[in-house]
Amino acid sequence: MTRPSPSRTSPPTLREIEAQLQAAILTGDDTVLAALADGAHASRDTLLGVYRQAYTARLIEVLMSDYPLLRSYVGDVVFRELAHSFIAAHPSRSQNVRWFGTPFPEFLKEQGSAAKHPALAEIAAIERSVSDAFDCIDAPVLGFDDLAAYPPEEWARLTFSLHPSVTFMPAATNAFHIWKALNEQETPPRGVCLPIPEHVVVWRYGATPKVRLMMEEEAMIGREARRGASFGTLCEMLAIYADPDSAPARAAGYLQAWLTNEMLTSAKVVARNRRAHLARRAAPSSSSA
Amino acid sequence: MTAAKVSKPKASLPSARPPYLGFGLGLRPQHYTDIIEGSPDVDWFEVISENYMVPGGQPLRMLDKIRARYPIVMHGVSLSIASTAPFNAQYLSDLKALAERIEPRFVSDHLCWTGVHGVNLHDLLPIPYTREALDHVVARIDHVQEYLQRPIAIENVSTYIQFAHSEMPEWEFISELTRRTGCWLVFDVNNGFVSAFNHGWDAQAFIEGIPADRVVQFHLAGHEHNMSHIIDTHDALVPDEVWDLYRAAVERFGPVSTIIERDDDIPPLADLVAELATARSIAEDMLPELRKRRAS
Ligand SMILES: [Fe+2]
Repeated sequence: MTRPSPSRTSPPTLREIEAQLQAAILTGDDTVLAALADGAHASRDTLLGVYRQAYTARLIEVLMSDYPLLRSYVGDVVFRELAHSFIAAHPSRSQNVRWFGTPFPEFLKEQGSAAKHPALAEIAAIERSVSDAFDCIDAPVLGFDDLAAYPPEEWARLTFSLHPSVTFMPAATNAFHIWKALNEQETPPRGVCLPIPEHVVVWRYGATPKVRLMMEEEAMIGREARRGASFGTLCEMLAIYADPDSAPARAAGYLQAWLTNEMLTSAKVVARNRRAHLARRAAPSSSSA
Repeated sequence: MTAAKVSKPKASLPSARPPYLGFGLGLRPQHYTDIIEGSPDVDWFEVISENYMVPGGQPLRMLDKIRARYPIVMHGVSLSIASTAPFNAQYLSDLKALAERIEPRFVSDHLCWTGVHGVNLHDLLPIPYTREALDHVVARIDHVQEYLQRPIAIENVSTYIQFAHSEMPEWEFISELTRRTGCWLVFDVNNGFVSAFNHGWDAQAFIEGIPADRVVQFHLAGHEHNMSHIIDTHDALVPDEVWDLYRAAVERFGPVSTIIERDDDIPPLADLVAELATARSIAEDMLPELRKRRAS
């Protein structure tokens, strides 16, 4: 069967018009101009330009409101350049503009000029996590009283659910200190790579997102707690990581901080027969801790 | 044209006209505290649906507080009713979940498309007013109304370009939409003004061309006049010529729930409430029964 050749007189379909107008906006393709009539007071080129300019302007504005501190750190000119290249590389695929800028921090990691300053991607990642913590799903907050209900002999087998807003972020640069200075409207330090990475945690306290640094060991047991490690296991990990004698006190201190910070949602006691780590420790191949 | 039928949604959907709500504002986060702590003279709020289609946190908490005291209408920007791309199932399901949670007086979106091929341009893009496009949009509105189990309201957008092969004026397209699907209409007075100027239409013809009994809401907003064209910026006071068109709209449509829709350069709540009072007094001067209704 031969396909009928498209008749020059038949008007474009809605599907064709939408594809052409989208291409005009995204790539500057002018095909759609043939389907347009001039305006009452302006040419069709000028009027098509309204959509083209509005597209980029709107998305730059979205990025500016998502990343206000990065913007003030690099300045308007640089921010706009970065935003332009991001918009060109990442057309929005989200129905909600709220998530348009989500890949921006990752983009900055790879993007030529920004990649030379790795603090930029990390500042953006902190800002992103703050936005995400802001409207993250709601969850109950575990209180001291809830924990007091468990008898002391069960504490070793307690496991915790972390609040869904809690995000652990290792930082290879001083991004946290830059972010903090900008957030407090102080002069930020120059971006530098750190000899030892820092551990940033972002979470929501009440209705407000919070950001702080954690000691490496606190971040370590925080991640393990999220994976379901029991309080007993967390204590053991701290004992291996540093001074074993003070491990229980350190563990209690971190737990108290998490409770005060509203980072925990619930606790439960795991059944004895599910303490796989003990079985592993008892196995002959395991090293003696 | 086929013989006129009475406009009504599918038999399974409620067909009662949404209630008259009086004079409201678009809800903006900058005003949460003033609304919750004060008692602004605002009858109701319209919310941007997408701002609350988030997992949780502050936005939903604030909305819960405000909706306990004020009627709410949900107004979306991403339904993309005129798109030739398939519906985004997640979007529809989130929209339905939000409507079930906040029980709005009605749900609206725009006569436009926002993207195809999986891309969202986050703009309200125009369509040619052809019979082909009409059939397509009718089928899409039917689908959404069936899915949400409620009629929706469709708003006219500001357009800058027009298509040479359009077969009817925008108002005829809109009239056919409501006749064939039973959807309600939001008449954005500013958008009507902007489109009429840009395309050299008669704004009065627009008002006279849409069925009076289907308009359930007015939007009022400001714009940016660039001499050769007007851009709908929603960042300024409602200008005199939009107030004039509003008078014509009140004249034709009668008592219609009205909001001032400000999206940018958002002033303090008190300024918007003052501007809203202008809308209220214009309508009450023309329709004295509104003043009586408010006093009672
Ligand atoms: Fe509007």
